[in-house]
Amino acid sequence: MLKVDLKYDWERFHAHYQVQIDQGITTLLGASGEGKSTLLHLLGGFLPGRGVLDFQREPLLALPAYKRPISTLFQSDNLFPQLTVWQNVAIGVSPHLRLSAEQGERVAWALEQTQLAAKANAYPQALSGGQAQRVAIARVLVRKKPILLLDEPFSALDPALREEMLFLVKQVTEDFSLTTLLVSHLPSEALLVGGRVILIEQGRVVAHEAADVLDSAQTPIAFTQYLGESKSSTS
Amino acid sequence: MFVCIGAFSLMALLRYSDVAEWSSFLSQPYLWRLIRFSLWQALLSSLLSLVIAVPVASCLFHRSFWGRSFLLQLFSVSMVVPSIVAILGIVVVYGRTGWLAQISGIELPLYGLTGILLAHVFFNMPLAVRLLLQAYALIPSGQWRQAYQLGFDRWSAFRFIEWSYLRKALPGAFVLIFMLCFSSFAVVLSLGGGPKSSTLEVAIYQALRFDFDLNKASFLALLQVLICTVIALFVYKLAPVNHQDSSLLAQSRFPIRDSYGAKALDVIAFLCVLVFVLPPFIAIFDPMFSTQFLQTLGSLRLWQAVLVSLKIAFPAAFISLLLGLSFCVLARYCMGKGKLDIWSTKLEQVGNLILMVPGLVIATGLFLWLRDFGLSFSSSYWIVVWVNAVMALPFVLRCMMPCFYQQERRFRHLYSSLGVQAWSRCKIEWPLVRSAVAQAFAFALLLSLGDMGVIALFGSQGMVSLPLYLFQLIGAYRLEEGACVAVVLILLCLGLYVLFSRIVGGKWHAQG
Repeated sequence: MLKVDLKYDWERFHAHYQVQIDQGITTLLGASGEGKSTLLHLLGGFLPGRGVLDFQREPLLALPAYKRPISTLFQSDNLFPQLTVWQNVAIGVSPHLRLSAEQGERVAWALEQTQLAAKANAYPQALSGGQAQRVAIARVLVRKKPILLLDEPFSALDPALREEMLFLVKQVTEDFSLTTLLVSHLPSEALLVGGRVILIEQGRVVAHEAADVLDSAQTPIAFTQYLGESKSSTS
Repeated sequence: MFVCIGAFSLMALLRYSDVAEWSSFLSQPYLWRLIRFSLWQALLSSLLSLVIAVPVASCLFHRSFWGRSFLLQLFSVSMVVPSIVAILGIVVVYGRTGWLAQISGIELPLYGLTGILLAHVFFNMPLAVRLLLQAYALIPSGQWRQAYQLGFDRWSAFRFIEWSYLRKALPGAFVLIFMLCFSSFAVVLSLGGGPKSSTLEVAIYQALRFDFDLNKASFLALLQVLICTVIALFVYKLAPVNHQDSSLLAQSRFPIRDSYGAKALDVIAFLCVLVFVLPPFIAIFDPMFSTQFLQTLGSLRLWQAVLVSLKIAFPAAFISLLLGLSFCVLARYCMGKGKLDIWSTKLEQVGNLILMVPGLVIATGLFLWLRDFGLSFSSSYWIVVWVNAVMALPFVLRCMMPCFYQQERRFRHLYSSLGVQAWSRCKIEWPLVRSAVAQAFAFALLLSLGDMGVIALFGSQGMVSLPLYLFQLIGAYRLEEGACVAVVLILLCLGLYVLFSRIVGGKWHAQG
């Protein structure tokens, strides 16, 4: 279980996140500018926060990003364009690219899992958007970190592909018992992957429910306003 | 226009040449030694500068420490310190009775290759560091964020991230430094120590000033242009192009995992800086506190020289800036206009071409050309101004081009859709480009202020600029007095540099 009680101040934005996140997928919803990505950056160790951040009772807050049990998929810049697909995945195991035989097998397995084995020697420029993000997922697989953070990594993909990628994430989360946090601005994505949803407003967690409440007749009051907004903004 | 003048000056030189005699030059062993030495010292100087610059740039990029910004400023200044002043500083530190000899008893054979290398590294290592840091700035911060999460240490970061960007910047930096060293004049003239270690550029000067052998001078000049062109073409063929990968992130810094090895390397890199760059600087400012300083300040000749220098530098900088601006605007106009597109890079290359043509050659050609029109020595003032302006052009372009290009790329469609043109566009752009323009002007001013080459050729009784005065003093072994003049010169440079880059350029917010 991931226990979060974090404060972060930036100019006139004062965030205070308090939430406990269980294993499985949790979708972070909220309008833009409300602080979804900020929470992810705090968890990942890319922003300095104050407070408590525990995972399975282990404190994480004092650790630098590379020592936290976390893999992050960002919206962009997940791959090094100067490295091949294989190198991009393998670098998740060893920053020096010196792999043991067993590690090499794991990289091959991860490429297999993400259907990229044929592209191992290609450079990211030669990949489509969906393939590029699959490389990043392959790296998540070889890193074997129990927490996975996704900061709208599929928002640039077309709907069918996005759906496919979300299913992949869901499957990976279940297969490897990950604690996955997915930032999204589409309630439909939360419904697609299931699990739980968190609504964030003004740097605060205002609701934490099972994902299917979004679709049910009794949508909690906190969500109705957000859903109304997002409906009107998409129309 | 300036291309025409360059071509004219070359042609004028050629008219005085006698091709038949050239073959006899080619068979002289002295010439071959000259070429060999010119190439050898330029190669060594540029390699040494780059080898030191890579770890220094990496260290400066990754660490923030007390004095970092001071060091960066020092670097930008050391590029434009008048060469003669720096040479004086180097002599004071490494010379026969210099600090090094006094402290440790080691006596370097300063006059010859060692001295030339020391001086060239002093000038060009900071230049290389700045060029490399520009390459570092191209690395999207998403890569650093990724590196941070994956736990890269400095070596991995260098190997997988930095190197692929540096690799593309290094050939350009190498060519630039190689050219500068290859055609280096003042350094070789004063630290070369005789015909054994002389370069083509110095030989041109000797042929012109002492022998007035136009034929030989034009031959040597052509040879120099030829060699530089061949090398530049060769390297640019090999060099891959650097371009910014699009990144949505604002620039921010993520700490890379530290280690003892990385720390040690940084310390070593730093010591190199301490050895090469700092002591001459300290040595230059040292005489400020002696009594001689005040006496020198009182001398009339000093102030005359200051006046002459300013009279040359200001018009030269203005002309250079105007030339640079018209280049930028032209190149930009050509950008994205279909067929004309290739011309934008061509124009920039033409601007850089000037580095290949020795200033002395342009000056002489221009002089001969004007003489044909019946204008004689009274025009030498304008020749000096003009040549200085042209010589500063590559640096001016380097300062302004990226900024102007960026403006064009980002806002072209916005401007054209709003119908903002010409003067109104200038007004909108001014706050964004003013810092680059001011920087360019300051560079041009300083380069002309510190110029030693052209003035050495054309200087006469009535026209002794500050660097030339200094050179004369050193030549007369009045080192003490020379040191004081050097202080005046460098203070003048620093003052003007700060004045223009800060006050005209405004705050750095424009860079954002």
